[in-house]
Amino acid sequence: MPTTRSILRRGTGRSILLAGLVAVAGLVLAAVTAAANPEPPAGTGPWTLAVAQATPTPEIPLESAPPLPTPIAHPGDASSTGCVDCHSAVDAKQAAIADDWRSSVHAKEGVGCADCHGGDPTSDEITVGMAQANGFQGVPSRDETVGLCGSCHANADRMRPYQLATDQYSKYFSSVHGQRLLTADDERVAICTDCHGVHDVKPASDPTADVYPFNVPALCASCHADATKMEPYGIPTDQYEVYKGSIHGIQLLQEQDLRAPSCASCHGSHDAKPPRSDEVVQVCGKCHTATQALYEQSAHSRVPGAGPKCWTCHGTHDVGQPDESLFLHEGGVPDYVCATCHSPVDQSLRLELDRFADPADRRCDTCHHEQSLIYSQVEAIANAIGGAAAAYDSALVQIDDAAALGMIVTDADVAAQGARTELIKARASVHTTKLATISELTDATIAKSSEAEDIANAKLADSDFRRRAMVIVIAVIALNVLVLIVLRRRLHATA
Amino acid sequence: MTNEVRSGELPGGMTGWVERRLQLGPFINAALHVPIPRDAKTFYFGGITLFLFGIQVVTGTLLALYYSPTPEAAYESVLSITSDVSFGWLIRSIHHWAANLMILFLALHVLRIFVQAAYKYPRELTWIVGGGLLLITIGFGFTGYLLPWDQRAYWATVVGTEIAGDVPVIGPSLLLLLRGGAEVSEATLSRFFGIHVLVLPLLIGGLIAIHLLFVHQQGLANPKYPEPRPGRPAPARPPERLKPFFPDYILDEVIAWYAILAALVILASLFPAGLEPKADPLVTPEHIKPEWYFLAVYQLLKLVPEEAGVIAPIALVLVIVVLPLLDRNQEVRPRRRPIAIFCALLLLVALAVLTYFGGRI
Amino acid sequence: MSGGFPPSVETAGTTIQAIEEGMDGPQGFGRRRLLRYLLGFSVISSIAIVVTPIVGFLIPTKTTNGAAGGRVAAGTLDTLPVGSGEVVAVGSKPAIVVNTTAGVKAYSAICTHLGCIVAWDGAANAIVCPCHDGHFNPLTGAVISGPPPAPLPALTTVVEGSDIFIVTG
Repeated sequence: MPTTRSILRRGTGRSILLAGLVAVAGLVLAAVTAAANPEPPAGTGPWTLAVAQATPTPEIPLESAPPLPTPIAHPGDASSTGCVDCHSAVDAKQAAIADDWRSSVHAKEGVGCADCHGGDPTSDEITVGMAQANGFQGVPSRDETVGLCGSCHANADRMRPYQLATDQYSKYFSSVHGQRLLTADDERVAICTDCHGVHDVKPASDPTADVYPFNVPALCASCHADATKMEPYGIPTDQYEVYKGSIHGIQLLQEQDLRAPSCASCHGSHDAKPPRSDEVVQVCGKCHTATQALYEQSAHSRVPGAGPKCWTCHGTHDVGQPDESLFLHEGGVPDYVCATCHSPVDQSLRLELDRFADPADRRCDTCHHEQSLIYSQVEAIANAIGGAAAAYDSALVQIDDAAALGMIVTDADVAAQGARTELIKARASVHTTKLATISELTDATIAKSSEAEDIANAKLADSDFRRRAMVIVIAVIALNVLVLIVLRRRLHATA
Repeated sequence: MTNEVRSGELPGGMTGWVERRLQLGPFINAALHVPIPRDAKTFYFGGITLFLFGIQVVTGTLLALYYSPTPEAAYESVLSITSDVSFGWLIRSIHHWAANLMILFLALHVLRIFVQAAYKYPRELTWIVGGGLLLITIGFGFTGYLLPWDQRAYWATVVGTEIAGDVPVIGPSLLLLLRGGAEVSEATLSRFFGIHVLVLPLLIGGLIAIHLLFVHQQGLANPKYPEPRPGRPAPARPPERLKPFFPDYILDEVIAWYAILAALVILASLFPAGLEPKADPLVTPEHIKPEWYFLAVYQLLKLVPEEAGVIAPIALVLVIVVLPLLDRNQEVRPRRRPIAIFCALLLLVALAVLTYFGGRI
Repeated sequence: MSGGFPPSVETAGTTIQAIEEGMDGPQGFGRRRLLRYLLGFSVISSIAIVVTPIVGFLIPTKTTNGAAGGRVAAGTLDTLPVGSGEVVAVGSKPAIVVNTTAGVKAYSAICTHLGCIVAWDGAANAIVCPCHDGHFNPLTGAVISGPPPAPLPALTTVVEGSDIFIVTG
């Protein structure tokens, strides 16, 4: 039996060993190189990119609401006017407060001074009415106010006659305002009286109330647009200005359309908090129901983290009227740095709010760059919509021309309305990102637009015919006049 | 002397056949003899107005064959005439433009008569009958305007009848009478149609006949010399030279009519009568404007209190109608009637300015 | 009275004759014929341009819409069973016919929001506008949900046998 020693002594044995050493060295070298250059993660491909969450809104567990205090008990009833009688005559400031209260809905419903301040309203003697022994509590602190309001307004039994909601107290403590009041003892946050008024509380349906929908943006802006007030929190203060220029702002504040959203419609009122990125679609979809349904058919909705949401293309406070320019950059896509869209850590896609702050970046080809596989679909969609819009516009131009010539165009107008219906449906269907769905509608738009255009062209042809006929008729009349003039001239020439 | 006719003297054919039976010859002969001074300058305004009325009768009758005078069908019938019926657009547009031109030429005719003092002795009655013709023509314009039952028609009628309701004393009753009720409704359309198509044509037909009879009897006025009045010394003047009505004047008249026809064809083809959306009593359009011939009154009412704004036009019309009885001055040449000419100029300028501003919104 | 021809009418005839005679000369006959020809053409063309539109106007055209008090066929009870609806053209305007449990109803199909053409949604049992998701009650035309500010204007329907008509007049 040959031993290792005897193999190594022979020449062939040495060659085998050398080969084996080289092989091992090569493997080690390869391993070392590989370690220095990590392979891309397994399964790299367009639809299986490891996708990180969009910058997550920190999920801090909410501090729960403090227990509800009981309403203040006091002698007397709604008809006891001791406090008001005296305070109306004390000085200008107190008289103003008394007037405020008299104009409020509380006064109408018999909620008086003692219900918030305690004391004895049956007497107008300061020693009796404002005695601590009789329950007088003075001006409640900001902390105490919320509980004080809640002591009635969160009580279902008390609120039943007025059919008012009773969830404001618990909602308030889920809001950013409430949480800061609880956790950071921050007395600068908004409490009930800051929005609803102190003594002059009015129902939200009263147009003079600060919380009436038309007045809500200005109310929120009274703090949120104030740089000094917002400085400690690092919150931007341009939202009100931006909102005023947005389509929502214009509709609510200028067109006075109550259906348009105010700050509270999207952020909540008592539960005010900016919606999380995964909540946005539901918030917008509360009014834009059809659009939400369409969006949920799309590939975008299936990529919860990095898929575009409503604000990606339409903005937040600066929502404008969308149009065809939202598809592609004009004049080519700027050279975006990789890190703009991809996390430098693991190259996963990330969707940042600030990435789309500039409306010029809100385009399909910001993400779907020209060399990507999906780009041809993006282009096809853009062209389909563009073609349909062009067909519709061209039909309108022809109809206008016909109308300008005096033709009656009611039937062409109705046909154009049919085309417009299809165009609006086509534009809305862009949210599905499905080329087949979109093309079906754009084809229908083009078909109906040509119908309308044909009707208009027929009328234009008619108008042309009338003008030509007119020329002939005028020629005949001119001839007649000529003959008559000749006759007239020769009447007495021969006499 | 027999009435027998020697067949050799009659023209052949149809004319002779009719003449033997009806002896219309002398009648036609008399009708065609209207004394026309050689100096007469009518610009054919009166004849043109008559021609336009004839056009209205023809086109109006044609339209009435397709029109439906109920709120449910009026608009659709007019739309159908304009879009579906052969030449419907033409008949309707000519009716629309002839209406406007008729009022324009009527105004020019009145102006010509005034400037040439042709309303003075012996033609006072002709002028007064003419006043009636003017009012009836305006009535035609007002009643006809409602018939398409579109927004413009409906609301212009609402405003117009409101103004009528502001006439003192009889206003409210007049409003009810015109509207056939408190509001402009089916009843209004019904009676406006009846008035426009039956009442007014009969009235105007009668008055036109009388007006033409008077003109025929007296001949046209001489713009240079007044007619000698009874009981006053006749001013010196050269002997009257006449020109024949037939065929000279009539030929000129027909040439003018052809020119107007050409104008109508051009206007109807280039500016066809349009149609606004169907009348909606619940939606008041932003700018309600009456047709141009009412703009002056409309603007006046914006400037002066209601009563004054309504009484002023009525007073003006009354003054115009009884003018021949007020103006006893014998003079006919404009230079010799400075006050009259000045008043007319003033009135014209006022109407022009009011109309211009009434049309601007 | 001599019973002669009225002088004025005579004058017309002699005038034309005189004019023609005044055209004596080498080209007299040509001019005379030309004048007659022109006069004839004049008269005939005048009559033609007046009579043609009048006659054309009087001849009824085949119109698809039942204008002025007519009605338009809008399907039958078989093609439109209870719970279904359809958009039909009434004249030049679109209308939506719905066969409801309370009879056949018809409304203008022009949405009161921004003018899109509405459609019938059998699943939702409502008239729906596809543009902005407005819903209308098929029994009354009133708005159920969405942005439309006003109900759909109702149209009158007549059912004869199994034929459905929308009254346009």
